[in-house]
Amino acid sequence: MTALVLLAAGLAFLFLGGLGLVRFGGPYERLQGAGVGDIGGAALLLIGLLFRGWTASGGVGVLLLIFLLFTGPIATHAVAKAAFVRGVRPKGGEE
Amino acid sequence: MGLKLWLEAGILVSAAFPLLRLWRGPSLWDRLAGASSLNVRVALLLACEASFTGRGLLLDVALAYAALGFLGTVLLARFGERGER
Repeated sequence: MTALVLLAAGLAFLFLGGLGLVRFGGPYERLQGAGVGDIGGAALLLIGLLFRGWTASGGVGVLLLIFLLFTGPIATHAVAKAAFVRGVRPKGGEE
Repeated sequence: MGLKLWLEAGILVSAAFPLLRLWRGPSLWDRLAGASSLNVRVALLLACEASFTGRGLLLDVALAYAALGFLGTVLLARFGERGER
């Protein structure tokens, strides 16, 4: 039951993050939607799979969870910093 | 059977949004956001398949895929930061 709730919440995070990625208006907004949705969805889905009872090598699943938790914000920050350095400015952020 | 089908179909359908953003993102940064998001979804799909079929090898494949996707995203962001276009 816990596993079902966690898996459904992870899928909802993935869908909402993808919706934000498609519907938002600028690069920074899209990056925010993608980053937050990915991290929440990945963490909830993997914890839900662990709760379901992992049959083989669940340690690698924990490793994948930790890896995704670390690298998602790094990738988002790299892309956002590159966009800022190249002169893209967020809308409505003028001083 | 039903849970595996619904979960993997849900992840596949949610992978349509990053594909759309990858197809028609106006700038390079939108495409990079879509590519990174798509990588995470593919790794999650591999992890689901590994958990439901009991093949532990697919988890290693998912870990390697996530590592390579992260490396590609950061490298492309670096190149776009200093290079042309």
